[in-house]
Amino acid sequence: MNPWVGYLSIAAVAAASTLIGFYGLRISRTTSDFYVASRTVRPWWNASAIGGEYLSAASFLGVAGLVLLSGSQGMWFPIGYTAGYLMLLLFVAAPLRRSGAYTIPDFTQARLESTAVRRVTSTLVIVIGWFYIVPQLQGAALTVRITTGMPAWAGSVAVAVIVAAVVMAGGMRSITFVQAFQFWLKLTALAVPAVVILIVVAGGVPGLVAQAASLDPFPPAAGPAGLDVYRTVSLMVALLLGTLGLPHVLVRFYTSPDGVAARRTTVIVLALLSAFYCFPTVFGLLGRVFAPDLAEGGQADALVLMLPGRLIPGPAGVLLTALVIAGAFAAFLSTTSGLVVSLAGVISQDLLGGSVRGFRIAAVLATVVPLLVALATESSGLAGSVGLVFAFTASTLCPVLLLGIWWRGLTARGAVAGMLAGGILSALAIFGGGMLAAWAPGIRPFLEQPAAWTVPVAVAVIIVVSRTDRRGAPRGVDAFLARLHTPEA
Amino acid sequence: MTDEARETGVPDVPGETDGTRPARPERVRVTAAGLGAPARPAFDLRAPAPGERATEPAAVYVRSLIRSQLRLGIVAAVGFVAATVVFVLVLALVPDLSAAVVFGVPASWLLLGFGLYPLALTVAVLYVRAAARNEARYRALTVDE
Repeated sequence: MNPWVGYLSIAAVAAASTLIGFYGLRISRTTSDFYVASRTVRPWWNASAIGGEYLSAASFLGVAGLVLLSGSQGMWFPIGYTAGYLMLLLFVAAPLRRSGAYTIPDFTQARLESTAVRRVTSTLVIVIGWFYIVPQLQGAALTVRITTGMPAWAGSVAVAVIVAAVVMAGGMRSITFVQAFQFWLKLTALAVPAVVILIVVAGGVPGLVAQAASLDPFPPAAGPAGLDVYRTVSLMVALLLGTLGLPHVLVRFYTSPDGVAARRTTVIVLALLSAFYCFPTVFGLLGRVFAPDLAEGGQADALVLMLPGRLIPGPAGVLLTALVIAGAFAAFLSTTSGLVVSLAGVISQDLLGGSVRGFRIAAVLATVVPLLVALATESSGLAGSVGLVFAFTASTLCPVLLLGIWWRGLTARGAVAGMLAGGILSALAIFGGGMLAAWAPGIRPFLEQPAAWTVPVAVAVIIVVSRTDRRGAPRGVDAFLARLHTPEA
Repeated sequence: MTDEARETGVPDVPGETDGTRPARPERVRVTAAGLGAPARPAFDLRAPAPGERATEPAAVYVRSLIRSQLRLGIVAAVGFVAATVVFVLVLALVPDLSAAVVFGVPASWLLLGFGLYPLALTVAVLYVRAAARNEARYRALTVDE
């Protein structure tokens, strides 16, 4: 692959993002602008921005790679990512908007009237955000290595620097425009190459068909009939519920003017995501036919980047490759900047006094830590590692949010106990799983996909501890719940 | 910034200082305020604040609104999950769907890859309508008061 294609498209995306970011700076002046874009963003803008932020390296590169690698089992990832928004709509979107809080820690503190809860929630938000940024930076490293031949660390560092600069300069108002732009870029960058490849393949290129005929690309064992029930159910629990607790997703809903607009925005997001996820799936299916060698070489995540160049000859192939690289970079930049904005919001409010200057320092902190982790570790499948972050979120923040919105009996002690139980168990499964599974191989699936048991355990702990908490529910609970659920005037 | 001014003004509830509730400890603001956050989300109690005329029927209406919204959300979620399970069972158990090949790909693969998104969208649209209906009913009740 010609490295200049990579250099040029990466530079173009970075320049466009920075320009839109600084254009936004002109109308971003007050502290409130910095945090939540003054809550005046229109549903379509907002929905595009949510989509832009949500579609990460895992969606853009990882899903196609997983379909290539493990067949229809991989299709459950995009289904879960999308259906997570359905759960968000059903249980969280409107009440959370009406709560008037800026961040998840704000919400839990206001609901439970406890600073201890706030501290635990803030810590979890920061940890989740950091671990979600790591795969983005690893995706950037992969893309830079494959497309330009530069050392992998350059990609991670480039994304981290650009994001920190844009966030420090503009806060969230400019981020909203950048994200919305990046959603449409990502959609175009997958849709156009996918359609062109489909047309070329349908036209019948003799050499390609001969290569494809050598082995069955769709064996029944990798199809829907070969479903691994426990793993699929557990993955769905993680993805459906994990979406509710993602810090960068929730902060977006505060930019809707009211609860009804928050719901409308969520439906638009669902439609945008549904449209987007058709294309990684198409790439994965095409990959199984035309590029099975990538799966064997451990390069499955690079499928989206390599396929256009392989199947489309000449300058058209080069152009489409450039487009795909640009889309991939948009994915790393947008998800990382969304996470950095919400992390910086939490860090600066809790530690640095909430000023604009504190926000800027916090933005650097929010970027540097995951960068160090990404540089020190090797990616083991982008979709998989993001899936584990979802499992952790589903076991910690999600139960507290859901019960906080819908159950008046939730107490501060119950929330803290549940978050600790869910967090410790899922962290043990994720980080200690390898060692434990070597010792007792039978429990391996339960450690690799822990959400199906850690989420119920967390919920049970919350309910039991809340019930036995003699201090009872906070005094303001009825007024607060009324505020969450009654429509605005 | 009128929004912010209103929010920060609200916690000074009249009646707290006039001795009607002497046993209450001093009111503590429990949002980001204590941490020096700017533009903090203060308690903006749309429901009757303590000390004000706390009408019992209003609280009943709020509780019934919360219950009906929760029921609606659970029905929609269970409906989605049940439909998904049935869909997947059909894909796995009907051999014709795996044998039929469309554009070189088994039909069951295509259905799993693309078939569940329309379902999620349908549930979402139906839910939004029903949730708005619940809120309209609540509004009608509180206006009648």
